Amino acid sequence: MYGNSQFDGSAAFSGGGFMPSQAIPTADPSSPAKSREAQGLLPLTVKQIREVFQASDDKANFLIDGVSVNNVKLVGLLFEKTERVTDVSFVLDDGTGRIDCHRWVQESLDTKEMELLSNGTYIKVHGHLKGFQGVKQLVVYSVRRITDYNEIPNHVAECIYVHCYNTRTRKMQDAPQATGQLPNPAVNTPSKGYQPTSSNHSQFSVQPIVDGMKGIDKIVLNYIEQPSCIGKENGIHRAELAKQLNVPEHKIMEAISSLESEGLIYATVDEFHFKSTVNG
Amino acid sequence: MDTLNPAAFVNAELLRMHVGRRVRAVIQVLRNDDGSITGKSTDEQELVVKGHPSSPPTTFVEVIGIADSNRTIQAEIWTNFGDNFDVSSYNTICQLANGDFKHLFI
Repeated sequence: MYGNSQFDGSAAFSGGGFMPSQAIPTADPSSPAKSREAQGLLPLTVKQIREVFQASDDKANFLIDGVSVNNVKLVGLLFEKTERVTDVSFVLDDGTGRIDCHRWVQESLDTKEMELLSNGTYIKVHGHLKGFQGVKQLVVYSVRRITDYNEIPNHVAECIYVHCYNTRTRKMQDAPQATGQLPNPAVNTPSKGYQPTSSNHSQFSVQPIVDGMKGIDKIVLNYIEQPSCIGKENGIHRAELAKQLNVPEHKIMEAISSLESEGLIYATVDEFHFKSTVNG
Repeated sequence: MDTLNPAAFVNAELLRMHVGRRVRAVIQVLRNDDGSITGKSTDEQELVVKGHPSSPPTTFVEVIGIADSNRTIQAEIWTNFGDNFDVSSYNTICQLANGDFKHLFI
């Protein structure tokens, strides 16, 4: 049967004319987040930028939450607008900090765009983060006035979501590498200080729970596929899985039932013991 | 506002955590008195904002200023947020920005 649950590109395509230049296994730690996000747009707060800028030695390439920062989106108040011949500079203040911005104006369209904006208005900017002589700056591609003020909480929510997504993606990639004791998947972040009401918390954590399931499935499968478990005639008891992986038993049960339905594990002497269908 | 003095997102409940510091809040204008405006915070409680708006306020107004007490803000910047604003979303992000994700903002 098919050797493992991961799609092995070179095995599938070998023998035919088409050979993929590089078989990329699904658990490759370096591929997903960086290659996909490298060209994307990151919604950020000035505080996030300031922190990474201060911490980074390389002022040309930044990483925030493990993702390389190229294009960024910010929302805030415009101040200190200064118009010059070839560029307009201003300060963006989003309530978490201030950042210097530069907008090069080459066409009359650009000039008009900037003329419409005055100090003290809410704007959204798309731009590229740059360090110049040790000072962080934003080279701005587009500046637009906010007309629907719901965009402000929307931007804040986006910053929070993307931060969660990127930090959780990194944790998930690190998890399958470790054997034995594994950290609890970040489905419920530990609260510090003020605890949001439970209904609002679940509203934002629906997405992570769905992704977290797949992560837990992977962790459970990896553990069951270890030689020590394959060597056991009766497989591994699900309570021991819960203890070894430091995951609540009900989550183990959910992972087990989904892995069973995929045909990746099977129950042995009773409904509590499981083994991998792969024979090592 | 400057880098050393950011403004925290607050509703009435969170305002008390930031007394004496710079805050930002959205209120629904209830009464316009002399020298202050009484409004309803995003978590349905009354707040008093001292100061004069630069232009006649719309239904929703964002104020940025110093929290004087549990119930009052000394406003520095007023921004009209119009008549259509999703109060519950704003309230939720106030809670998140002061809770689990505080490190992204303050």
